[in-house]
Amino acid sequence: MDHSLKNQASIVGIGHTEYSKDSGRSELELACESIAAAVEDAGLSPVDVDGIVKYNWDNNDPIEIARNLGIPHLRFFAGVDYGGGGGPLGTLLLAAMAVATGQANTVVAFRAMNERSGRGTPRFGQASTESGAGGSYSYLSPYGLFSPAQMVALSARRHMHLYGTESRHFGEIAMACRHHANYNPDALMYGKPMTIDDHQNSRMISDPLRLLDCCLETDGGAAVVITTRERARNLKQKPVHIAAAGQGGGGWNHRVMVKDVEATETEATVIAKRLFDDAEIKHADIDVLFIYDHFTPLVLMALEEYGFCKRGEGKDFVSGGRLQWPLGDFPLNTSGGNLSEGYIHGMQNTIEAVRQLRGTARCQVDNAQHAFVSAGNAVPTSAVILRAD
Amino acid sequence: MDKKERYSATFPYPIPEYGAESYWDACNEQRLMMQRCEQCVRFRWHPSPRCGDCGCERYSWELLSGRGRINTWTVVTHPVHPAAVEKVPYIVVVIELEEQVGLTMVSNLIDCDVNCVDFNQPVEVDFVTHPIGQKIPVFRLA
Repeated sequence: MDHSLKNQASIVGIGHTEYSKDSGRSELELACESIAAAVEDAGLSPVDVDGIVKYNWDNNDPIEIARNLGIPHLRFFAGVDYGGGGGPLGTLLLAAMAVATGQANTVVAFRAMNERSGRGTPRFGQASTESGAGGSYSYLSPYGLFSPAQMVALSARRHMHLYGTESRHFGEIAMACRHHANYNPDALMYGKPMTIDDHQNSRMISDPLRLLDCCLETDGGAAVVITTRERARNLKQKPVHIAAAGQGGGGWNHRVMVKDVEATETEATVIAKRLFDDAEIKHADIDVLFIYDHFTPLVLMALEEYGFCKRGEGKDFVSGGRLQWPLGDFPLNTSGGNLSEGYIHGMQNTIEAVRQLRGTARCQVDNAQHAFVSAGNAVPTSAVILRAD
Repeated sequence: MDKKERYSATFPYPIPEYGAESYWDACNEQRLMMQRCEQCVRFRWHPSPRCGDCGCERYSWELLSGRGRINTWTVVTHPVHPAAVEKVPYIVVVIELEEQVGLTMVSNLIDCDVNCVDFNQPVEVDFVTHPIGQKIPVFRLA
């Protein structure tokens, strides 16, 4: 008997707000707008929704969303840890579990935040100005180690030392995302092409991490609607199936976000085997990649750890235009990603993966059948393989 | 105020966690002490109630030599904290301590030109005093 989640749930609706530096409205309104758009896209009404899954870092209260949207009965509500960047596919996994077990019929997963304007959610790239630091921060903040960028810089440098990775390889990832953003009028970086020189000349943030290695801080909301594969058949949109989903975490890192580059096991390796086994495909069968792009070095490491190439070969994998639509064989984050579209903690990448598998993306990959979508690594994380109908 | 004191003048001070008081008390005596598991005899950083390798809750506090090597580092150039404005560029390091392979801790490398840091360089512990009086372990090139 097969107890896996594979192929049991499908994404049937997608929706998002505009991405901006200052939304001018509350995080609750952003959540409601993006969820309402996703429900409408599915051809459903809020009364059909009976589950809400949130990122644990999201300030929104599911019951307030239900009250504002007119969702009469909530049968399932949950949050996913490390969401944050580790959360985006964990929300899909929870929603899929809820519909697969019959605890709910139609579940919304969303992320909404005023992260750039700071009106509700603090800017993650800035440090708290509390005079004392407790918990695990008591071992980091006294040293001036505050931001994810600074922490990632530590592991990026180690990777460069071990494998000969160079800053320009990180630049290839940034350029691929920017290339795709320039086809996407919704992207914050639309109309702003980037060259490798732009990347190499961008301001150093925490050596070796440059400004253009870092994702955008963004205000906005993004949501998807999940139901059973069976129910999905009769809805408005061509369904996109969750072929496999997984979470992975463990105690290998120096600290959360301070990755031990030499660790044999990582969040990604824990997920990878199960994901490809459940989906019953190989890496070469993936048509389009959505690797969580909080920082370019972690994209390169994720490609290695999920098995798209061997450890240390990420620098070759990302070179030669492989990540760029339409000629590359592994187009990456085809709406621009966290780096160049907008940073809604990866939920926009899931939405774009759905567009690809519906066949409605701007940078549409011919006959896209499988998308690989990962959440942020260097923290406990999540990933899915999505399949076209 | 001498250079050392100015160095960590306004970054947050550590609020000791339950069980970590011995770590910070030892720092105030200019000693780097860490927990060592009584079952698998492995050291760990930072302090925690149980051993991350074997799960054992019994441990002793042991004095370390304070010597280690640079595993990796970053030179912070963009200040994200008000106190960092006058401190950039500063060096955050991951140190691998000599007592055990893989025993790493996060710290600062002080009194070192940002262009003179390299992998595997030997370092030794020193202590700087936060204005609230707590001493904090940092490293300098040996």
